[in-house]
Amino acid sequence: MDNGMDNMLDMYLFETNSLLEQLDNLLIESEKNEEFTTDDVNEIFRTMHTIKGSSAMMEFSSLMTIAHRIEDLFFFVRENGIESLSSNDKSELFNLTFKSTDVLRGEVEKLENNEPLTTNIDNITSEINTFLNKISGKGEEPGPAADSGSAPAGTASVAGLPNSKCPYFIQMFFEEGSGMENLRAFMLVNALKDIGLDFEFYPEDVETNSATSESIIEKGFFVGLNSEEDMVTAVAAVKDQGSIHTYEVIHNEQKPKEEPAKTEDAPQVQQPAASPAPAGSAPKENANAQHANKQSLISVNLSKLDALNALVGEIVITESMVTSSPEIQGLKLDSFLKSTRQLRKLTDDLQDISMSLRMVSISGTFQKMNRIVRDMKKALNKDVRLTIIGEDTEIDKAIVDSIGDPIMHIVRNSMDHGIEITKEERIAAGKDPQGEIILSASHTGSEVVITIQDDGQGMDPEKILAKARRNGLLTKPESEYSKKEILGMLMLPGFSTNEEVTEFSGRGVGMDVVKKNVESVGGTISITSEVGQGSCTTLKIPLTMAIVDGMELRVGKSIFTIPISNIRQSIKIAKENLLYDAKGNEIVKIMDEFYPIVRVYELYNIDTDITQIEDGILIWVEAGEHSYCMFVDELLGERQIVVKPLPAYLNNFDIKNSGISGCTILGDGNISIILDVLNMYTAANI
Amino acid sequence: MSTELENTNMENEEQAPKTDISTERYLTFRSDGVTMGVSTNYVIEIITDNFITELPRVPDYIRGIINMRGQIVPIIDIRLKMGRGMSEYMDTTCIIVLDIDTVYIGIIVDSVQQVLDVDKTQISPIPVEDHQKLVNGMISLSSQEVLLFLNCEELISTY
Repeated sequence: MDNGMDNMLDMYLFETNSLLEQLDNLLIESEKNEEFTTDDVNEIFRTMHTIKGSSAMMEFSSLMTIAHRIEDLFFFVRENGIESLSSNDKSELFNLTFKSTDVLRGEVEKLENNEPLTTNIDNITSEINTFLNKISGKGEEPGPAADSGSAPAGTASVAGLPNSKCPYFIQMFFEEGSGMENLRAFMLVNALKDIGLDFEFYPEDVETNSATSESIIEKGFFVGLNSEEDMVTAVAAVKDQGSIHTYEVIHNEQKPKEEPAKTEDAPQVQQPAASPAPAGSAPKENANAQHANKQSLISVNLSKLDALNALVGEIVITESMVTSSPEIQGLKLDSFLKSTRQLRKLTDDLQDISMSLRMVSISGTFQKMNRIVRDMKKALNKDVRLTIIGEDTEIDKAIVDSIGDPIMHIVRNSMDHGIEITKEERIAAGKDPQGEIILSASHTGSEVVITIQDDGQGMDPEKILAKARRNGLLTKPESEYSKKEILGMLMLPGFSTNEEVTEFSGRGVGMDVVKKNVESVGGTISITSEVGQGSCTTLKIPLTMAIVDGMELRVGKSIFTIPISNIRQSIKIAKENLLYDAKGNEIVKIMDEFYPIVRVYELYNIDTDITQIEDGILIWVEAGEHSYCMFVDELLGERQIVVKPLPAYLNNFDIKNSGISGCTILGDGNISIILDVLNMYTAANI
Repeated sequence: MSTELENTNMENEEQAPKTDISTERYLTFRSDGVTMGVSTNYVIEIITDNFITELPRVPDYIRGIINMRGQIVPIIDIRLKMGRGMSEYMDTTCIIVLDIDTVYIGIIVDSVQQVLDVDKTQISPIPVEDHQKLVNGMISLSSQEVLLFLNCEELISTY
């Protein structure tokens, strides 16, 4: 039961979040055009209606109330036509809608974090009410104000039995003021369907027509049944349902008991009378049509995908265990070989597909930036447009989640510091008065390249250098810094070019955090900038963290793997080429540069016979700004590996800092440890 | 490769009287001459042979990691963890894989013995709070022998 509730909550959160996201996009689109089209109004109305319905079902009253108010508001707008609003009112409407969706999102976030919902939402509701009163005062006739969305219908019709042949009827009344009667009725219908009953119910369109609430309140909800047996089962089920106030069984045998059978007033007939109903039939059809389009997509829990991927990884490993089993080596097994080839092809395909399942388009992350640019535009009073290129680029779900914040931070920086403060400055510099930020994503082989470019004032290397000097970040004479190095200093901890703290950036979370986030998913970040022409930040992110090209190497009996991307070259050197620096550390000269040597067996205390420099091999590696040579026994070869994280328990021992980033399972079922070239450098302390 | 615990459990089911509330099942094993027990609620499986991949730069009692059907499990030698000397691994040496609050961990023991029903009310605390932090109770099995209970939470906590 608990589990069922959790699933329902999950579904609710997923649905509400995606609705709010769609709504946001829609609002931004329409604000650009400074106009709500009739479709937009209908769409907002429908969205709010859905949120209201599902929130009521989950008994989240604050969400329901807010959604209800906005629904009312847009109901009015729809009835009176958007044209009836002055442009001032329109912009107020935009702001109000944005604000309300923010409140809704805040509430949803609270649900996600298991925090209690806000109980006092008077602020926002009264704001909506005031606005509604204001615009409705101007309108021709007083709209159906902040009360219930629909006007009282073809009123006071006497309760009546529907026109049906069913011999038995159950007439139900829901608890007074429980709200959403039609949905409650619909849930009841579903419950009855679940126990396999064959029945009719009235009003028939409870699912789609919220106006039926009225008739349910007045006359009750009717369920018609064909036999006494069914009736008894149904009554039992009805008793189990919550929120039903009273119910009554009626025998429909020409001689009505308590109920006068006024069939001519059947709910079907009076449904049109119940209008102006929210969600009339036309927009409803639209919604259905949209639904049909989405049918090819289903939402799957991420943990299931992870489990699938893990399983596929296992199959790949097991397959190679079977085919390279020592027992069959040297045997001539034609049909076996044929089958294993087939198996390998199938497992490869399976792996490709299971990997692709985790890939999602980056558009969600990009679209969020629209909102940020919009808000900051207002707050900073700058005119900026956001251009998005290649939002269909797909990337691993886990990576998408972790690069959202860095991108947001960079966009904020561009808005805040990049784009010139006034139009005049831009015009004086011969630029389009409207600033532009370009967000683009593209694939290059195994990487996704994301660039955030602005056409603002750019960054002055001199200023950066001066600031770095003040903050004591310089490590060599100023004249020796290249431009690239200077721009790289922006990403050092303790560096923030903006002296003032604004609402949007400069809150102590600087580019160093951005850099850290990007590096944590195996990516790199670089900044280029021309004074007066703007800046461009480039993120290079691996497609997936789960699979890497690795080089296997051996030290003693241990097998390690290092990512190919870190390796520059492997070399054998003779003893004579081994040099020593001033501290007596071993160094080697490659292409006129000196690099320190890290002997892996020494660093990790591994027993090996290969301690002479000419017996083993040097791997020249590079990570971040460090470059050095690793001394190992031998290279075993290149392989695609599936990265597995180490058990969390081992994190207690600071294992990451000793240069171990994860492990992978070899074809024979043994484990190879994946080395982190950068952390090894730190661990070796050279 | 591995002995599923279920089998051991099954055999025992017949001899053991139906458990009531105060009894709990314990898997007993020998380590450095003493008999110890761990609640079967924690035990996932017993592995008799598996190649342990050593990890560099960790305390000596962490022997390394193993691959248990795709799951990476860290392995602890509880002899060393309890501060006793290292001994050669023998044929009877095996790994008991435990699930302690979703933390998977394997412990190396000298030999696995049996599954016992233990009346929890009979468990007495350890008389002196000595260096054996890993033990949180004891019970006498016979006149000569006591059973010490492994403190699993302590096992995964670090200091």
